Parts: sequence; C-alpha cells; structure tokens
Amino acid sequence: MNFPNIYNIKDYRLLAVVPLALLAIAVMFIPNIKLGVEFSGGTLISLDLEEKIADVSQLKTALEADGLKADLKLYDTTAGQRLEIELPQSNDLIAAEKLRAEFDSLLPRVSTLEVEAQQNESKKSEYKAEYEKAESMVKEMYAIAGLKYEKQENASVNQLDKNIRSAYKEVYAKYEKSIITPIDKNIKYKNISIKTVSPLLSASFIETALKVALVSAILSSLFVFLSFRTFIPSIAVITGAFCDIIIALGAMGFFGIPLTLASFAALLMIVGFSLDTDILLTSRMIKQKGDPREKAYDSMKTGLTMSIMAIISFGTLFALASITHISTYYEISSVALAGLVGDMFATWGINAVILLWYVEGKR
Amino acid sequence: MLKAKGEKMNLLKDNKFLFLFAIFLMFAAAIVYWSAYSGIIEIFSIIIFGAFSLLWKEKHIKIAGLAFLVLLSFVNIGANGLKFGIDFKGGTRIPVMLDQPVDDATMTKMVSIIKERAGAFGLSEVKVRAVGNNQINVEIPTSDEQRIKTIEDLLSHKGVYWGVVDGKVAISGEHIFSKSIGPMDQQSLLRSGADWGVSFMVDREGAETFAKAAKGKADYPVYMFLDRPIDADLFYTRKELRSAMLNDSGEKETLAALRSALKLDEGRTINVYILDDVFSNSSEGNITALGPRTNNTLALISKNASAEYKTKLQELGYVVKEFDDKTIKPEFMRTQTGVLLVEKLEAVGLLSSPILNVGLTNGIPVYNFAITGSVGDVPSAQKTIVAKEKMQYMESILKGGSLPVGITLGSRTTVPAALGEEFLNLSLISIAVSLLIISLAVGIRYQNIRATLPIIVISLSEFVILISILGSFTIDLAAIAGILAAIGVGIDAQIVITDELLKKDERDVEEKSNVAFQIIKTNVIVATLSMLPLLFSKIISGVVVVEIIGFAISTILGSLLGYLLSRPAYASIVEYILNIEEKEKAVKH
Repeated sequence: MNFPNIYNIKDYRLLAVVPLALLAIAVMFIPNIKLGVEFSGGTLISLDLEEKIADVSQLKTALEADGLKADLKLYDTTAGQRLEIELPQSNDLIAAEKLRAEFDSLLPRVSTLEVEAQQNESKKSEYKAEYEKAESMVKEMYAIAGLKYEKQENASVNQLDKNIRSAYKEVYAKYEKSIITPIDKNIKYKNISIKTVSPLLSASFIETALKVALVSAILSSLFVFLSFRTFIPSIAVITGAFCDIIIALGAMGFFGIPLTLASFAALLMIVGFSLDTDILLTSRMIKQKGDPREKAYDSMKTGLTMSIMAIISFGTLFALASITHISTYYEISSVALAGLVGDMFATWGINAVILLWYVEGKR
Repeated sequence: MLKAKGEKMNLLKDNKFLFLFAIFLMFAAAIVYWSAYSGIIEIFSIIIFGAFSLLWKEKHIKIAGLAFLVLLSFVNIGANGLKFGIDFKGGTRIPVMLDQPVDDATMTKMVSIIKERAGAFGLSEVKVRAVGNNQINVEIPTSDEQRIKTIEDLLSHKGVYWGVVDGKVAISGEHIFSKSIGPMDQQSLLRSGADWGVSFMVDREGAETFAKAAKGKADYPVYMFLDRPIDADLFYTRKELRSAMLNDSGEKETLAALRSALKLDEGRTINVYILDDVFSNSSEGNITALGPRTNNTLALISKNASAEYKTKLQELGYVVKEFDDKTIKPEFMRTQTGVLLVEKLEAVGLLSSPILNVGLTNGIPVYNFAITGSVGDVPSAQKTIVAKEKMQYMESILKGGSLPVGITLGSRTTVPAALGEEFLNLSLISIAVSLLIISLAVGIRYQNIRATLPIIVISLSEFVILISILGSFTIDLAAIAGILAAIGVGIDAQIVITDELLKKDERDVEEKSNVAFQIIKTNVIVATLSMLPLLFSKIISGVVVVEIIGFAISTILGSLLGYLLSRPAYASIVEYILNIEEKEKAVKH
C-alpha cells in the first residue's frame, strides 16, 4: 500500500494549516462541553421501560405539567427501551447541605456553652445567643423541607441536632418524591435507578480530576524531556499531545459527549496514545540517519497503521455502546475515537512540521 | 510450524526452559493455595517472567515465558473462577451517603463496619467500597426485593446506647452530646493515673437522670449496653457456664453476677436459666416458672446447644435466637474490692462495665463525664496502641452505632441478572469482532497472511492474562473497556515491530528490533505515567475513583505485560517467520 509522501511538497509548513484550523474550531466548541452528573452534581435516572414510548416530546410535556422539568433521552436496547432523565442539581439540596455543614461547625461550641451555662450564670447570655443562631438554622432547614417548625421550650442542643438531621433527611426524601411521583404517574417501567451526586461529592470529583490531570501532565512531560534531552523536539512532542487533547475536547463539545469520570479516563489514555505516535516520529527523526522527509513519511505510514488499528478497537466498542447504551462504553469509545482522529492531524500536521523545520534548520 | 521436531526434544534438556517451568509450577501452586491473593500473585508473576524474558535473549525462552503466563492464567481461572461486578452478574448497588466528608482513617473504619453489618446477614459476596470522601457503595449480588430491604435496614440501623446502674437506665445515648465524645485531654489523663480515657458531656435531662440513678451507688458498675434486647431470656448449659467461670468463683456467685448485670426495671430484666436444671426430669416445677412474656420474647442460646433444648423452648413459645460461642460466653472480672462482675456479654449488647466513681454518686447533676481504664498486662511497647484501641472502642459504644459519622441511604440501582449476562456476552463478542477486523486490516496492510496470525495469537494471550488477573478482583464495565484499549495499544506496538523488521536496509534483525524496542519502551513508560495518577488518586487527593479504577488497572497492566513479555515474544515469532520466508526464497531461487 502506497500513498505519496506529503512531506515532499515545497513548503511543508502548509501542512500545519489543516490541524491549526481544526484546533481553532475545537477551541470554539470547548465551552459547549456538558459536564456529566458526576462533575456537575445532579440526578440521573435510568428506566427500563415496560411499555414502549411512542412520543418523547409528549412525555416531556406531561412530566413538565407534573412539575418535572428535565432532559429526556430514549434508547432502544436489546432488552427493550431505556429512558434516561437528567436533572440539574436541586437548589434545595445545595442549600440544605450548606446549612448542615454550618450547623455542624457551630455544634461543638454550643454544646460546650450549654454545659457551662448550667454551672455558670455568666455564660448564660452567650449560650443563648449561640443557641438562637443554631435554632434559626434548624428553622431554615425546616422551611426547605416544607415542614412546620414548632418551638420546643427548653429543648437542648442535642434536640436541635436531632431535628435538623431529620429535616435534612426530609429534604432529600421530598426531592426524591418530587421526581418519583411524576415518573410513576406517566411512565410504566420494570426497573429504575436513581443516581444522585451531591454537590459535595461532585466537588471532590472535580478536585481529584484536576489534580490527577495535572500530575499526569507533569509526569509525562518530564519523561519526554528526560528521554529526548533536547528542547525543540521535546516541545514538539508535548505540543502534539496538547493539540490532540484540545481537538478531542472540541469534539466532545461538538458531538455532545459529556465529561464524566469515564470520558476523563479516556482523555488520560489519549495522552498516552498521542504521545505514542509523537515519540515514534521524533525518535526516528532525530535518532536515525537518512533524509528527514523520507523518515517523516516512513513514520507516518507506521503511525497511521497504528491509529487505524486503534480506531478499529474503539470503533467496535462504540458499536457495542450503540447497541447496549452502556454509557461507560459510549463515553470511553467516543472520546478515544475523537482523540485518535485528532492525533492523526496533530502528529503529522503539527509535530512533524516543527521537527522538519528543526532538523532541516540545523543542517 | 514454529519449532521443528528436533528443537522440541531439546527443550527438555534446556536448563533455562526447565527453570522457567519450575517457576511456573511454583506460581501455579501459589495461585491455587493462596486463592485470595491470586490476582496479586499473577501480577507478580508477570514481573518475574518478564525479567527473565528481558535477561535471556533466546527466542524460544521469550515465547515460553508468555506461554507459561497464559497457562498460569488458565490455572487461575480454573481454580478460582472469575469475579464479575453487578453490571455483568446482575445485582443491586446501594449508595450510602455520609453526613460529612471524612478523612482516610475514618473512611477505612466506616467501610469495615458497614462490611461487618452487611456480612452479619450471611452475605459473603457483599462489596463495600468508598466513593470519594463522603459516599460508600454497597453492592449485593441479588435483586430480591425482600433481601435488599433487610440489608437496607441493617445498614441504616443506629445503635441505642444505655448505661445501666443497679437495674436502672442512668444514661442513654440521646442525652449525650455526640460531638463532645472524644479522647480525654492529656493532663486530666495523667492526673487520673489511667492509661486511656474518653470524655463526654450530657444535656440537663441526662445529668439529672444520672444523678438520681447513681445516688449512693459508689463502686457500682455502669453496665454499658448497645442495643440491649428489651424482651429476652438467656439460656446456658451448665457446661457452658462452667467454662466461662473464673477459677476462684463458684456457680452461685457467677449466676448472681449475671443476674445483677441483666436486671432492669419496667419488666425489662433478662432472666438467666441453666438448661440442665430447667428441663431435667427431677425438677418439673421449674418449667412453670419460666415462660415467654410475649409472643416475641427471645430465647438467647448458643448455636451448639442441643436441638432438643431449642425445640422445647419453641414449644414454650419462645422465639429462639442463636449465637456463636464467643458472642454468648460472658466475660467476668473481679473489682479491687473483690466483687465479681460481668465485664462483657455480646449476645445482650453488654460491652463494658466501668466502675462508678464516688464523686458521681452524691445526687448532684454532673454534665462532664469521663470513662477511664487501664490496658492491663501488656508489654510497654504496645501500651499506646492497646490504649488507643480501648479508647476508640469506648467512643464507638457511646456514639451508639459504632459508625463515626451519620449516614443516609441513597436510592438503589438494580441490574437484572439476565441483562447483565447479555452485556457480558455482547462485550465478549465485540472483543472478538474487533480482533477479527484488526487481523483483516493487518493482512491487507502487509499483504501477508503470516503477519496476521502472530498478532491474533499474541492479542488472545493478552486477553486471557488480563481477564484472569482482573477477574481475581472484579470485572466491571470499565475493566472491559480497559482490556479492549490494552489490546489496541498492544497491536500498535506490534505494528511498530513489524514495520521496523520488514524494513529493507543494511541493518540486521537484531539492530532493527533494538530500535523498535527503544520506541516501545518509551511508549510504555509514557502510557503508564499518564494513567498512573488515576490509579493513585488516593495519594494525590485522598479520593479513589472506583468507577474507572478498572480501566486504569487494565491499561497499565496491559502496558507492563506488553513491554515485559508479549512484545518480545511477538518479535521472536516474527523473526522465526522471516527466517522461514528467507529460506523459502532461497529454495525458489
């Protein structure tokens, strides 16, 4: 199999035009990336349907009429239809969680004061002030839960703690009920799964993902520098991988692939894949003898074969995802495919061009 | 095709091969014997076989290394089976939300307590994993509504703490400020002369109740119960009781100590009976004396007691509840004044019995309490550790659920077994399909059917090895995706090797393969480095991302396996083939 050596054209820098354009488009679409429920917080409901739904938009209107405004996605699977309902983070839950945290941090102080006030008159006013603060939080929680707060005379802080906890649970219960009631009314299903990611959990996922991405980037770049020990080629390799990630992110924005833990893992893997071809190219260009353009072309033949094989692997996973609608498969395969395609442009259009310019300039 | 008959004979005389074979037998034995660690052992075997494959240059040794590893994987799968997650096996996942984010140590503790609770129901296959720092996922391999409900109840149960003084509840968990329970400060501890101490505060009602119950009861024990049954009787055989008695005490004293520990007002006393006496023919009269108070009165009895006794108790109208010997056997101690006390009796929730200090028995309400204790006779090196354990134990009793943080159960996800099975089948089919298309593509690319066969053989080997290792832990969706990715990466590396070896230039095969391996080595390190932070996210930010850990593990293992074993083996096979082709060409000429 032979195709012409693209690096033999007079000004090979022109080759960078396509990837650069792609990069520019990708950057435009990055803000469109939707955060998956793990990162944004919120609720994802999956239903295995008992009766087929003919008209999704009609169902959507019916659910909205019952107070459930949400995105609906309907899939045909081998085991019947599956409906996915995604809801944004509920403001009540966010507020309740914040209130709980505040109350918990106040609690040790008020309990100590309560005990001290029993033994020491002078502490009484201070205790009272703090107690009222705590009580107002309980009242607020009751309001969110839609419960009526009745002041209990001489209730201890322990009692307040108990009350705020039960009200907090009620907030969650009410939220779930507000989802389940309209669903039960409008949809017949065999199975339901509700995945609620609290604001706290989503925050910890975001933090972890950012840190992991940072460490991963630092480790990989350090290693690239260590193994080539020359500045420009190392920078070329890292630029190639970076452009690839940008293109993959752009594709996620364009095709509506959400950023979830699974697609995040796929992005990390793409860094590895992308560096694979970059390193292949760079090793051959700077460590082997011969005409640089020929070597670049040779590497490209190997590299493209590699990419095609990987595309086949993830293509089958993507096909599997289309049949089963397993979101983990869908997210990993589609991000990997986008990254692999992006890698072809980034490696052979950007990295190769920088290297050719560097090697030929040195001559 | 690869080995002529003559070579096969030689293998038996080849020391290196025999050595590898011996290692294989060793690992196989280890995998069968320590089946709980089979996954770890197999990962270790990759490294050992890999080291020898890198060390020894002989082609057949490299191939043998991989072959042995494949065999080892079959041994592992055959002996220990494969573990699948609920996505493939069907089952239910219940998220347990913690009331607040916790640190590592607390999380570990929570996970082990929850495991214990779910395990108490006799479900050995319950999986409990931390998700982030404020959620724990519990997975059970069942979709039976009744069983799930029972487990949910077990999980959300919060224990009730009672401190009983002389048959009266002197202090109960609801009056303790849960946030105030903590280690005693160092100075007070030193002053008290104890080895460990837990301090806590109570609210006014709690203080008043305690003052009343403890008045005049200096040197009485406070029997600390967690979830004491309110309607139950306790039954021992004489033999059981004798085996629990202290050397210097008799049956009468022992029974008296038990009775005083278990008495409680408002008809909640747990009576203690000796089965031999109750059901002996000579003392018929006793049977009328004993009997359940309600339809729900429990008869607490050892598992090992004879079935006859259990039937008789049921006939009397008891609900028989069995315990293993360790749980139902009382532990006794003697106080400094020589009084015999029950120190522990888990079957009724009696977990400790500290002695009341004189200062607390004058009837004046006290709000600050401390429970102190000594560690007993242990070597001084272990003193701090034992003291800490005892202190934490006491803290958990007072906190009443032994869970350090409150929990809420989230809504559960159920995967029906049939659906899971279908997912698994489809996943396996798609791996097969992808291998098929790849081998076709490779065939077209190199216009050589001989180049495709080794790629398929090597990829299948990698698949078997990875499935076997991951199956020792859990195969979930992410793991399958990771295995597919690893095979993809593996094929890429094989293409690098093939391209390099097929190049027509003056370099010899060894030189070419060195260049190829240089590239592959760099690739493997980069691929590993970019995924490694995900695997160690625990160290980086204290959070384990369980959802995708399988993906990280399989891609990293795939790289490692590839570099150490399957790429060298592949290169060796291709070199064999190239030699054969050259010979064929020579014949044609």
